[in-house]
Amino acid sequence: MTRGYVVARIAVTGVMALAATLVVFLVAHFVPVDPIQTQLGDLASSKPEIVARYRAHWGLDKPLWEQYLIFLQKLSRGDLGQSIATRRPVLEDIKQYAPASFELATVAIILAFSIGIPLGVLAAIKRDSWLDHVARAVSLVGVSAPTFWLAFIALALFYGGLEIAPSPGRLDAGAVPPPQVTGLYLIDSLLAGDFHTLASTFAHLLLPSIVLAATTTGVITRTTRVSMLDTLDQDYIRTARAKGVLEQAVRFRHALRNALIPIFTLGGVAYAQLLSGAVMTETIFGFPGMGRYAFQSAVILDFPAISGITLVVGLTYLLVNLAVDLSYALIDPRVVRR
Amino acid sequence: MTRSDIVRRICSATTLLGTLTLLLCVLWGSPAAAGTKTVLVLGTDISDTNTLDPQRQFVYSAPITEHAIYETLITMTPGDYKDAKPLLATKWETVDNGAGLVFHLRPNVKFVTGNPLTAEDVKFTFERLKYLKDDASALAENIARVEVVDPLTAKVVLVDKAQPLLPFLIAPNFGIVDSKVVREQGGLNTPDADKNDKATAFLDQRSVGTGPYTLTRWARSTEIEMVRNPNYWRQPAAFERVLVRHIPDSATQVLQLKRGDIDAALNLTFDQLNSLKGTAGITIVKGQSLDFMYVAFTSSAALSQPLSNKVARQALMYAIDYDGIIKGLIGGDAIRPASFIPVGLGGSTTDLTREIGYRQDLDKARALLAQAGLPNGFSFDLSYGSGADVGGVSYEVVAQKLQADLARVKIQANLKPMEQGNLRTAYRKGDLAATITFWNPDAMDPSLWADPTVERVAKRVRWEPAPAIVALAKQADAEPNPQKRDALYVQFQKLLIDQANLCVLFQPVYSHAIRDSITGYQLTAAGWQVDLYDVKPR
Repeated sequence: MTRGYVVARIAVTGVMALAATLVVFLVAHFVPVDPIQTQLGDLASSKPEIVARYRAHWGLDKPLWEQYLIFLQKLSRGDLGQSIATRRPVLEDIKQYAPASFELATVAIILAFSIGIPLGVLAAIKRDSWLDHVARAVSLVGVSAPTFWLAFIALALFYGGLEIAPSPGRLDAGAVPPPQVTGLYLIDSLLAGDFHTLASTFAHLLLPSIVLAATTTGVITRTTRVSMLDTLDQDYIRTARAKGVLEQAVRFRHALRNALIPIFTLGGVAYAQLLSGAVMTETIFGFPGMGRYAFQSAVILDFPAISGITLVVGLTYLLVNLAVDLSYALIDPRVVRR
Repeated sequence: MTRSDIVRRICSATTLLGTLTLLLCVLWGSPAAAGTKTVLVLGTDISDTNTLDPQRQFVYSAPITEHAIYETLITMTPGDYKDAKPLLATKWETVDNGAGLVFHLRPNVKFVTGNPLTAEDVKFTFERLKYLKDDASALAENIARVEVVDPLTAKVVLVDKAQPLLPFLIAPNFGIVDSKVVREQGGLNTPDADKNDKATAFLDQRSVGTGPYTLTRWARSTEIEMVRNPNYWRQPAAFERVLVRHIPDSATQVLQLKRGDIDAALNLTFDQLNSLKGTAGITIVKGQSLDFMYVAFTSSAALSQPLSNKVARQALMYAIDYDGIIKGLIGGDAIRPASFIPVGLGGSTTDLTREIGYRQDLDKARALLAQAGLPNGFSFDLSYGSGADVGGVSYEVVAQKLQADLARVKIQANLKPMEQGNLRTAYRKGDLAATITFWNPDAMDPSLWADPTVERVAKRVRWEPAPAIVALAKQADAEPNPQKRDALYVQFQKLLIDQANLCVLFQPVYSHAIRDSITGYQLTAAGWQVDLYDVKPR
């Protein structure tokens, strides 16, 4: 894998993200919804002067191609435009909502890997044992339980019933967030030396991240199990065992390393999904994140916000996939040689 | 170190980190502190709040905050939406044969900034609202200009003296701002305000009003924080701090209310409110709204041949089980106006509904269908917004009930659920045969219901009202005598009922669930849900 390859991948990533915005831009304009009608009140929508000012303000009075060119022009200056619904720069909205999603998704994916991989490995090694059955049951529940149901059950049980979980939201009611550096409360409270807020942030992240991790954990457990079983049946594993290599070395040095490749691919996609698609978890746990912002923008056809979100989400997917591709080199030396 | 060592270490590290995360959460996470007597916490969905600039905001959730941080010249008390009460103005009178209104301001009122309230602030506020040409500016359309008579007297000159202004002035959009500070922050009250006003960013984070509370923080889709205004002209507000907490999910609001993390839950469904009845420490507070859910039937033969027939539409109206909707779907927590003016305004009462309104009469419906040449019924498309509700009952449920009712006279309603934005666009364009939708007031004058029925709503149902009915609406709007005005609106409603394009299904009673730790919590239909100044710790 050369530097040229990495540069080319990054360039393609940018072009693909832009292409995604064009597709979304066109699709959004073919939907029979007038964003002005969804935003303006009944009385104002009957006043031509107010409607005209709105259309002009958001550039909706211009031809579609011109609107897209203006979007690209602004993008070249790092400006994603102004949201029709929130009436402020889309970049500012994203700066506010993305850290909450990033923090939640990151904790969730760490949990998913931490639980899913060991459980999958154990299930494969102890195939058809009670451990394997437990692992399969856990992954089945994780994959099949609807997120909105799981979220509410978890909240009702641990917050409403047992009263051991804190209230929904990123922090307690009235708590002032730490001074913003990254927007990630875990990092910002640590930087500010505010351990109370750090603890509170952890506590508030616990339930939503477990809920969010459930599906991914299930998928990772299943994939790890299947991948490990597949690898353990390979000839080179039999050869290693025949040569007298220690069983532990066979499992972890020879089998797990090869089995990890599809898991990393899957994990990358799952992480990108968690970053952008946690609408129900964010709604029930009162997390002001990207998933909910994207959903609300889509419902009212907030064109600038939709385009901005598409760009960011597209880039996120592409960059995560790029990182996964590059990490193959670490796991599989054959990728480097190719 | 070999690659397998690296892999193993990565696995170990992630496992360790995950376990540590869990432990830290459990060991260090403490439940949120419940709202104490010095802090009032409201749980509601504030995702629609896109600004707290009083002259720009025009959404559902913002007025509860705006009304607590800004005050208007006049106001209305819950239940009485006819007579304006003094607030920042102690008295007012019409001048120039109705072409102007003079307001006498309350002396010794200070803004939270410490500046005194003057007529200049009234002029700036009203003219800024008008010239911003934003969503709320339509409310100030009838204001030509504001003249400063003296520091405590302002004269509002009207564009059209036949159109009422007073009912509009209670809206939080007319909340008086400290003109000196807003000007310093780039605010304008000149015709170029729509392009050059820069004060909104400031007003989104700080309030400059005379209200009992003042805004200290607004984190979008998270929380609004207000503290007690030290310069308030009446008794200081009861709470040191008020938090309006964003809780988009109503089931989560129930959990938080039960735990005591919030003092009031504002967005509960009918079923959730029922489940809370009898719960110790929780009370359901009710308030009659002026909102209503209605069905709009087109007059356009191109959209529906049968519906273009007035007699067929009248048959529809007689087939609907109105009492069944109110008792069966909303548990009786609603009333019904006779037509498009809500009970409480313009002579509209429940007695009037019984007297002149439609009621279910299946024999009459069948007879009218026969008269319309449709003895075997007909079918039409009934559109409604999916995933939304009014007064705790969803459009879907109401649509299903209507479908069942109409089937009894062989009328088939084909249910067409639509996404809300889609529905609004199509309905406002007049592209739908029949639409279940919703009306809520911009201000408290019957003209705001009567005029649209013969103007923009008439266009949506493709009805060209006869000049006589339009003239009647205008005559009622301009009538100064309250009794005569009510009588004219009643006459107007009779014509609307005969026309049978608009069928009001119910006018809901809204309910909030509150903890017994607070008192004075009274719902209003005037637009701001609750006057937070009246809420006190028990």
